[in-house]
Amino acid sequence: MARFTDDELMRKVQEGFIVESEADMTETYKKALITQLTVQGDTELMSAPAYYMATKDAPSTNTMVSATAIIQDEMGHANIAYRLLEDLGVDRDELLYERPPQKFKNPYGFDQPLVNWAELVTANGLYDRAGITLLGDVHRHTSYGPLKRGLVKVGMEENFHLRHGEVWMRRLCEAGGEARDMVQAAVDWMFPMGVEWFGMPDEKKHHNAQLDFKLKGMTNDQLRQTWLKAVVPLCDELSIEVPAHVNPDTEAVELEFEFPVQYDPDAKHWLLDEPITWDQVWDRWRARGPMNEQFVEWMRVSRYSVEGLLEA
Amino acid sequence: MADGDRLWEVFARRKRADHFEHIGCVEAPNPDLGRVYAWQTYDEAKWFEMIVAPRDAFHPVNRAEQPFTLHPSAEALT
Repeated sequence: MARFTDDELMRKVQEGFIVESEADMTETYKKALITQLTVQGDTELMSAPAYYMATKDAPSTNTMVSATAIIQDEMGHANIAYRLLEDLGVDRDELLYERPPQKFKNPYGFDQPLVNWAELVTANGLYDRAGITLLGDVHRHTSYGPLKRGLVKVGMEENFHLRHGEVWMRRLCEAGGEARDMVQAAVDWMFPMGVEWFGMPDEKKHHNAQLDFKLKGMTNDQLRQTWLKAVVPLCDELSIEVPAHVNPDTEAVELEFEFPVQYDPDAKHWLLDEPITWDQVWDRWRARGPMNEQFVEWMRVSRYSVEGLLEA
Repeated sequence: MADGDRLWEVFARRKRADHFEHIGCVEAPNPDLGRVYAWQTYDEAKWFEMIVAPRDAFHPVNRAEQPFTLHPSAEALT
């Protein structure tokens, strides 16, 4: 692993060089790629128990089939990321079955319970949109060939999840009454969650190996703006209120609160008038959300029971 | 990878006359489960044909590197 120096590899990937194996990597590149793939795999994997929790609330057999198909897709996407990690020497069994739940790198949003159908479809509409925004950028720009190829399937399927979310959000909103109120309640807590999903603002993040090595193409703020530009007009169209608006002059979406802000996970409520520092956000993320341990446990429990039977 | 598992490379083509494409891989202890996992996991298209082959059956011709040639016997022609 010393074919290139970091500087040489950075220059080469910016010029379009595609890394195909460890022999092309530097240690810094490999470390950044492992972090990126771990976040990707953990996010896909931990969306499954979150979605599963609300799938039990599916209103018909057909919707139950759609929702479980989405869960199955997400597990498949996690498999892609973890397989790529194994090829980089990471032990998947250790990652999945031995890591403390607090060490999973999924976003805070997937540590939260999804308790009804409106929350599930809003998660499809908002969080899968975040997934498409992030992974679409990786797919277009990544310098790592195996990941670029793996993301073809992911992109196709995430678009289906997004459509499922948006179609159902619209259907519930058009029904009006309690159905519409449930979407509004879901958006109230999931929208700021989505804003936070994209991480620290660019001005706080000076050095970024993922950008230097072209493991992604857009900065956190650019990605966040891409997501906002899709989500805010959708909510406007559905007459769902969000604390953000499109500035008609710049066409950019502007938040109507001082980001980041305090969150009360027990009440699922954002205190939009209580700004906090990014250190405080990191503390909240590190403390993990209410479902973190439970979701990891759901994913693990059957392995131990069935493994025991196979060995008996 | 769990004990006894092998890595199965998955190839598929959408329709008659298409080239086979490498679309991913799965881990399974035997070819039957490898076929099932591949079919269930890579269901993003209505494939005309899908096949799996164990990674350790691939012999590198000109490069002893990933993705197919991680087994220790890999040795490239020079």
